Amino acid sequence: MRRRRFVQSLPLLSSVPVVLAQQNAPQPEVPLAMASPDSVAKPSPHFFSEPQLSALRRLSDIIVPAIAGTPGALEAGAPEFLDFLIGNSPPATRALYRSGLDALNTRSIAKYGKAFTGLDGAQAETMLAPLRDPWTWKDPPDAYAVFLRNAKSDILTATVNSREWIAVVSQRNRGASGIGTYWIPAE
Amino acid sequence: MPAQTYDVLVIGSGASGGMTAYTLAKKGIKCLMLDAGPPIDYDRDRTLRAVYDLPYRGFGQPGRFPHVTQANEFNAAIWADEKQNPYTSDPNDPYYWVRVRRIGGKTLVWGRASWRLSDFEFKAKDHDGFGDNWPISYSDLAPYYDKCEPLFRVAGRREGLPQLPDGIFLEDASPESLSMARFIGAAKQRGIPTTKPRRATGQLASSLNLLLPAALATGNLTIVPNAVVREITSDRKTGLVTGVNFVDRHSRRELHAAARVVVAGASCLESTRLLLNSRIANSSGMLGHYLFDQFYVKGTVQAVVPEARDGKGARNLMGGAGYIPRFRNLQTKEKDFMRGYSVDFGSGGTPDPKYFPLYGEALQRALNSHRDTGFSATTMGSVLPRFENHAAIDPNVVDAWGIPALHIHAKYTDNEFNMARDAMNTLDELCHAAGFEVLEKHDQMVPPGESIHELGTCRMGDDPKTSVLNKWNQSHDMKNLFVVDGSSFVTGGSQNPTLTILALAMRASDYMAEQMRSGNL
Repeated sequence: MRRRRFVQSLPLLSSVPVVLAQQNAPQPEVPLAMASPDSVAKPSPHFFSEPQLSALRRLSDIIVPAIAGTPGALEAGAPEFLDFLIGNSPPATRALYRSGLDALNTRSIAKYGKAFTGLDGAQAETMLAPLRDPWTWKDPPDAYAVFLRNAKSDILTATVNSREWIAVVSQRNRGASGIGTYWIPAE
Repeated sequence: MPAQTYDVLVIGSGASGGMTAYTLAKKGIKCLMLDAGPPIDYDRDRTLRAVYDLPYRGFGQPGRFPHVTQANEFNAAIWADEKQNPYTSDPNDPYYWVRVRRIGGKTLVWGRASWRLSDFEFKAKDHDGFGDNWPISYSDLAPYYDKCEPLFRVAGRREGLPQLPDGIFLEDASPESLSMARFIGAAKQRGIPTTKPRRATGQLASSLNLLLPAALATGNLTIVPNAVVREITSDRKTGLVTGVNFVDRHSRRELHAAARVVVAGASCLESTRLLLNSRIANSSGMLGHYLFDQFYVKGTVQAVVPEARDGKGARNLMGGAGYIPRFRNLQTKEKDFMRGYSVDFGSGGTPDPKYFPLYGEALQRALNSHRDTGFSATTMGSVLPRFENHAAIDPNVVDAWGIPALHIHAKYTDNEFNMARDAMNTLDELCHAAGFEVLEKHDQMVPPGESIHELGTCRMGDDPKTSVLNKWNQSHDMKNLFVVDGSSFVTGGSQNPTLTILALAMRASDYMAEQMRSGNL
């Protein structure tokens, strides 16, 4: 009995050094391929109301339309990204956007009887008159104009920093790779 | 326990702390350096990333750095977290306190501009009657400027201007682009001097690579990162400081380190906060007062060079950078303001889309047409040191380690506002004279503090009743306490202060070493 136990234990004992050696051997470093969330899933906007998000989508399309093969704000997912960004912003920014998008709709309804999304190109242009005023360092006194100014900047940035935009533009301009030096957090 | 008494304990590892340790360690003095931040490996702790792979597409986490306009999503890790390190100011007069808590301090990210002050600053009161003179003159500091410039590999061009003394530079003899030559010519016609930028060169020009390694190599420097100094300790019987109490940033363990001499080089406002929390070095009542900086008017003018539109300019039309040194109130006297301002200007780049009152395809066409047509200038103005601009302990706010935080009060006055307006009008005139089209001009200053040139809250002077430090950066009250950062400034001029901070720290360290050698410390 004792001998049987001894024999049974032999293969196990003899395999221990092999296993340890395997564990200690340098493993070839194979980088694990990872995908970004945006490449496998669609964002789920939840901050803006549906009328607000519709207005933001229309505004985004007007600010940065797709031109000659270059994706625009819609293709770059800028409105959905801004839903996330603004939703996580300080209260003043959230209020500015919400009231600004509401104003786009209410002003459109007051003037044309339909929300901003439903306006034709010429009608929509009239809603964006403050964006055709010369830019000044001091914010304009009108909160609606401030919203439009901020939205123009944010929509542009969200678009040109998107994977979709950079994938196309970097083909003809190597400086537009979107690559930068990133400081790794200390902890 | 391995506790020992060091010769000198240095708080902070940036320009002033780094230079102090560098100078003293090379003289054989045993130094202990404490810094509140973690160490950094400049190669391993930075990597290349695509902006679209960052969580916030380059915008940065909203609200994380409400007062650090320099922060972006790429460099967010470098700046001191404002929640862990709070401070307060009047919401109607916000102060933007920009801090770096890493080994190397702000020299990890500084703009590298390296100008000398002149006796127009050191003896400003003699010149215009306002405020106080420094207790030193340019000739006292010149030998130290001479040593700091080669150490930081400063490149520039000698001009022979009394308001901007020349130094020991790597000569910048690069030719001017055609657009720069036009602007410089327009300035010259009006008697306004210009020069090349004077900047520290190299891949990295920091305490981290230029000062600390050499100090460590002597075997005389010990650096402890993540050491948040709570207070400087002192002995009431002797009237001397004895060391510091500090908190380990991670474990929050409280420790005490002893030293014969303590040197605060934690940056102007951090050193001031430390002294205020320690309740020392303030027999004058001046500690925390006379806070000033340089006011900035970013993008005072944004212009375009018309011939460069649509890529039609000559190959040498665009590019380059330059500097207008102070030219007001030198030989003449302005009606609306004292002292003067400097200007950084540059040719090239595409103006920001905000400057074009367009959107959609029209905006894209305008941006394409204006690619590399830009010319911009930023004003940096002298701020008058005033007693009422000050930092004090806020009794209601503490940081993440329970250390009382600062309340900062600073406002600009008509002297600065009038100066900014003069700069705007002058630059507009120069741009038009150079044939540029001005898209926008303005005189809106950034909030106090944003220039990251805070100065003056531990001012030096000959009179212990009106100053915190003597001319050697040494406390009037406690002879083994030194403060070597920008808080010792009496006036600042419009020049970036780092080179002067380095020179002052080196000079103070030479004095300190001599005093220690002769047994006075």
